[in-house]
Formats: sequence, structure tokens, C-alpha cells
Amino acid sequence: MKTDSEKAHLKRVSHWKLYILILIIAFGLVLVLSLNLGYAHIPFDDILKILAKQVPGINYLVDSSDITQTAEVIIMQIRLPRVICGALVGAALATAGVIYQGIFRNPMADPYTIGALTGASLGAALVIVLGVGVSLFGVNTLQILAFFGSITTVLIVYNISRVGSRVPVTTLLLTGIAISLFQNAIVTFLKVIAEEKLLHGLTFWIIGSLAPTENWNNVWSILPFIVVGATISYFFARDLNILALGEDQAQHLGVEIEKVKRILLICGALITAAAVSISGIIGFVGLIIPHLTRVIIGPDHRVLLPTSAIVGASFLMICDAVARVIMGSGEAPVGIITALSGAPFFIYLLRRKRKGYMA
Amino acid sequence: MVVLTIDGIDCSYGSVKVLEDVQFGVESGEFLGILGPNGSGKTTLLRSISRVLKPQKGTIFIGDADIYKLKTLEVAKQLAVVPQDTPVTFDFTSLEVVLMGRNPHMPRFRMESKEDLAIAKKSMELTGTWQFADRPVTELSGGEKQRVIIARALTQEPKILLLDEPTTHLDICNQLEIMDLIKQLCKTKKMLIIAVFHDFNLAARYCDSLILLKEGKIVAVGESNKTLTSENVKKVFAVDTIVKKHPVTGQLHVIPISRPQNQLQKSLIIHLICGGGTGSPLMKILTDEGYTLTAGVLNLLDTDHETAQLLKIPTANEAPFSPITDEAHKANLQMISKTNVLVIAPTQFGGGNLRNLEAAEKALEKGIPTIIIEDGTLEERDFTKGKATNYLTKLKNNGAITVKSTSELLHFLDTLENKNNKGTHQKKKP
Repeated sequence: MKTDSEKAHLKRVSHWKLYILILIIAFGLVLVLSLNLGYAHIPFDDILKILAKQVPGINYLVDSSDITQTAEVIIMQIRLPRVICGALVGAALATAGVIYQGIFRNPMADPYTIGALTGASLGAALVIVLGVGVSLFGVNTLQILAFFGSITTVLIVYNISRVGSRVPVTTLLLTGIAISLFQNAIVTFLKVIAEEKLLHGLTFWIIGSLAPTENWNNVWSILPFIVVGATISYFFARDLNILALGEDQAQHLGVEIEKVKRILLICGALITAAAVSISGIIGFVGLIIPHLTRVIIGPDHRVLLPTSAIVGASFLMICDAVARVIMGSGEAPVGIITALSGAPFFIYLLRRKRKGYMA
Repeated sequence: MVVLTIDGIDCSYGSVKVLEDVQFGVESGEFLGILGPNGSGKTTLLRSISRVLKPQKGTIFIGDADIYKLKTLEVAKQLAVVPQDTPVTFDFTSLEVVLMGRNPHMPRFRMESKEDLAIAKKSMELTGTWQFADRPVTELSGGEKQRVIIARALTQEPKILLLDEPTTHLDICNQLEIMDLIKQLCKTKKMLIIAVFHDFNLAARYCDSLILLKEGKIVAVGESNKTLTSENVKKVFAVDTIVKKHPVTGQLHVIPISRPQNQLQKSLIIHLICGGGTGSPLMKILTDEGYTLTAGVLNLLDTDHETAQLLKIPTANEAPFSPITDEAHKANLQMISKTNVLVIAPTQFGGGNLRNLEAAEKALEKGIPTIIIEDGTLEERDFTKGKATNYLTKLKNNGAITVKSTSELLHFLDTLENKNNKGTHQKKKP
């Protein structure tokens, strides 16, 4: 006979699939809704028809005779890549946040704390201010330098923190913060010396925006990194759980902590670098989404990693939709929307759940 | 059957050497305790055995296998660790934490099976934690959490269990329950247990053998009964203790005795008439005050005799349970003649020790100040049909002083001490 606690546990685990299913449905709704928003009005049923037309197997069922060529181009070539980029960036930042909070056993950690974001902005700032932005096979130098700036920074932080074969997480955190401040200072200096007309672009990039992502090249250039990074990190979900008991105990339970930390840090760095390389610095997603998801789903990384990714994707799609319409004719940087909506919500969460891991 | 061999290891943190040439072996079914002062390297030793801190020199073997050549996962299948304290970051439930103990036995992509759940449940029932299986560990009290961590270690199904002061956070009832459980696992499941202790008595109660560590080196190792001696304890902890077999539990009992180091030696020599334990506290207090003591006649095996031995107080002795013979009486008188004060403790008087009062009478005749401690229970203490009472009354009439409490006694001794010093001082002057 099973006791209540056993049942409760089994129920919790069996609910994981349900949660993921519900979140995927919500994600689909947000996606279609986001495609609907924009200057040209395209009704929902047309959007669904256009989307269905692309899917082999059901495309012959769709009567697309009443859909204009323009509508299809707007949806397929402009809005969809942007919305998918938003989803990818959101999923990436949330996943990286879960990874960093897990490794550092610190709910304050996010891609910012280890220097992954300032590294990217330094790379981008160099390209913008020095005016060396050229396009290469559909990927421009800005994106490449932002990517490598981010990855390199994490590797530098990791190597500085290393003591023999060990990397103490406190040292890692502090080094990350120090390097971030250092890089921020350089970026600020570049802003000061930048020409007026370049300054706007740089500021906009640093605040973060999905406006430059309205083509499929962007999707293809980041998708592999994010998929590979997220998949590998998912292999180590159980190890992340056990790390919550501290590194010594994790090792006692068979986790090769230094190896796992190294792999996860690199995964986190890859994912983050890919995301920020097209979107600029979008703050708050990496910090708030893991918390929000943990409150709903629980702390088990085997379910937290995929659900956080979906929640992060949906959240950023919504924020981007708001960014596109809130100012009427122009467009607000999405980083502002995430911070404006995220901060109050985060504080609400803290107030509501004062006990436990946030205490 | 497992044998754990610690093969002459040296460990350092940076340039600070914490362990030096530590060498010992333990086998299944054995319960080994490690005792030592703070910073003696106990926890470092456990970390080294658990493969967290690689020694600079020497290594550790489980059976024939060098643990530093095995995979982390292989070691985790055989060896579990319960640390002093486990800060848990996120609010996992107790059951989830306990299930983490199955990690070394689970393939990477498998979820916990029914068997895993059953093992976790059993461990939690053993440690009395099943009733809060659903509660987040972050909300548990220190003792509850520690029991969850012990359940997690048991869920690992290890052959070797290392514990670092595992019951520091527990109350006495939980302490005994958990230690009883571990002892039982050691004996029935032939588990090999190594535990670091802070508490001598807990260690003495549960450990088959003990290691005493000081400054990273082993000072003593061996069976608990032979290792835990007041000499060894003094060597390692620099405190004076009384180590005795407790009459009820039969286990060694370590009682620290403080000895004020800077107390001035006083000039008075005091002889104590006591017995049956009435003199023991006086012996301790008076030696601490700096007085020199003698005592007698005491029967061997009498508590007061044992105390006198521990405090190195000379005594006139008589065989166990025997009346005082002429010989012992004479020895006693001899001893008394060399003292400045005689103190009679509120002890029982019977046919056997009545001669001690006779000795007191003689002393008083010789002019040695005699102090009787009265607690108002003389009638209950007199088993000589009034003879002892008569003696004491006579003593009082002849000038013996009575005091009612230890503080009164100390006060009186103080005046005597001053007078004695002045006397010697004046004598020296001319």
C-alpha cells in the first residue's frame, strides 16, 4: 500500500509532463498572438492558414486562395523570424539563468553575474564605435564580436578563479562581478568618445532589442548553439539538483563537480553568447524566469530546465509584442519592457514567498 | 566485507599542513571514533577519506582499490558521508533530498524507480523522518534536517559510512536514537563506520575503537577502553579529567576537572576524616583552594579513596569492607600529627570506622584545630548506638569547632591560614 507522501511524490513527478504540455500550448497561443501584432493588420485565421501552409502533410488541406502574397511575406519573412528569435533569446537567457543559479547555489546569479553580458556589450561597442561593421555570409561582425566577447569573458573569469584543479564558486562570482565592472567601464568610455550618430545605435544595442532580427539568418545563426547548449545542460539536470546540497556532498553522491561545473559553465556561456549576439543585452529574463518557474513547478532541474525555457520564450515574445506597439509609430527597446514588467513582478514574488530559498 | 586502509597520508590546505603521516585500518562491522580538539584535522581526515581532498602523500584504499584512482561514482556506491551541516539552496522536499542518495545507483537518464522510492522510504522510516517527507528541507529544524541527511546517506546503501559530528544539532533523545541506529547498522549490516566526535562520552559509548588526533598526528589509537585514558586525554586536549567506568552503563565516562592554574599554594596541611563519598567534593574544593591534603582511614574501593587517588592525595588505608585495624589506625595518627588542621566530613559512622573519631580526639588533645562539618543529620548517620555522637559531643566540648557549610569551612580555614602565616613570619623575625 502506498502512503500519502509516496503518492504525493509520484503525483508531482507525473504532473511534469502535464505542466510542459500546458506551457507549450500557452507558448503556441502567445506565438500566434505575437504574429498578429503589427502595422499591417492580418487576421488570426489568415495567420493560421499561412502557418499551416508551411507544414508538409497538412498543407494541401489549407485553402489559401484568399491570402495575399504580401500577408504571407509579412508573416513568413518579417514577423515569424523575429518572433522566433524572441522565443529563442528568451529560452536561452532563462536556461542560462537556471544553470548559473544551480551552479552558484545562489538565487542572485544570472548571466550578468559571470560577465557573459558585459563581454558581449564590449564586443558590440568596439564594432559600433570603431565602425568595422561588415556583413559576412549573412552574419555581421557585430554579432561575431558580441558572441566571442561573451564566451571569452566567461573563460577568462573561469581561469582567473581557478585554484589548482578547483574553482570555488564564491571566487567565480566575485571575479565575474569584477570583470563585469571593468568591461562596463570600457564600454562607458567608448560611449563617451563615440560620435553622436553611432551613440544611438550603441545605446539601443546595450538596452536590447529584437528589431534587427527580422530575417531568418538570425534564427539559423543562433539556433545550433542554443539547442546544443540546452541539450547538453539537460544531461546534467540531476547533477544540478544534487549540487543544491553543496559541492562536497555532491561529490559524495558521485557528481564529478569540477567537470560538471566546467561543462555547464561553457553551455551557459554558449547559450548566452548566441542570444545576446542578435538581441543585445536583455536584462532580467535570466534572473526572474527561473524564480518564477521554480515557484510554480518546484526546484527539480529535470523539469525546471525545459519549463523555464518555455516560460522564458513566452515571456520575451510578450515583452517584444508590447515593445512593438506601446509607442505607436516607433518601437521601444524590449530590454526596457522586460525590466519594467520584471522588477515589480519579482518584488511581488519575493513578498509573497518570503520563506524558503529566497529568504 | 570491506577493509578501509589509510596509508600514511599527508594533507595540506595551501602551505598549511593539516594531517601528517596518518595511518590506520578499519574493517566492516567496526565502529571507529575520531576525537581531537578543534583544528586537529578530524574533518580534513574525513574529507580525505571521502575523496574530496587528495592527500599530498600516501593514499586511501577500499579493499585493494586506491580511491583516488576510482571514479567518483564508484566510490559513491560504497561510501556515504554525513557532514556536520548541510545548507540546502532550493526548497527540495525531504523525500527529494533523500532520493538524491540513489544517484550513484541510477543511470543518467532514468527516473527514480519504485525500488528507489521504497529504499528511500525505508531509510526515512528508520530515521523517523517519513512524516515530513513532503515538507521542504529548508523549513525543517536543524535536527530534523540532519536526520533527513542521514536518511539520504542510508539510501545510498553504502558499505562505509563517514559521519562528521553527526549529532551536534540534535537533542539528547534524538542523539541516542540516531547513534543507536548507526550502531545497529554497524553490527547487523556489517557497515564500516567512522565518526568524528566532540563528546567523549558519546564516543566511548558507541565506538569499538578510537583515534585521538592532535595537530594532524595520531596520538593514540586502539580499543576505546584502552585509548580513552586520562593521560591520553590530557596529552591531546590539555585538560585534567577523571576517566571511570560508569557503574550503570559499564561504559567509560570522562569527567573534566578544572584545576585553577594560578592558585597560590597555601601553607596549611589538612587531614580529612571522611568516607562513602562525603569527602570527595571537599577534596576537590580544598585542593583547588591550594591546601595540601591527607585523608584517612579510608577503605580501599571507597569512593573517597578513589577520589583521593585521582587527586593524588596521600591516605591511610584499610582493606575493603574491613574495620580499622591497629596498624591502619597508627598510620592515620602518624599522618594526622603532620597536619595543621583536622576536618571531619559529615560521613556515616559505624563499628568499622569509629576509630577515626578516636584519632580525632587524640589530635585535639595534641592541640591540632579540629573542625566538624555538621549538616543536622547526625542521628541518621550514627550507626553505633550513640557512640559516635558521644565522641563528637566530647570533641565539641573540648574545643572543636563546628561549621554548617563549605563556605563557612573555607572562611574558617582562611583565618587559620592567615594566623599560620603570621606565626611563621613572626617566628622568623627575631
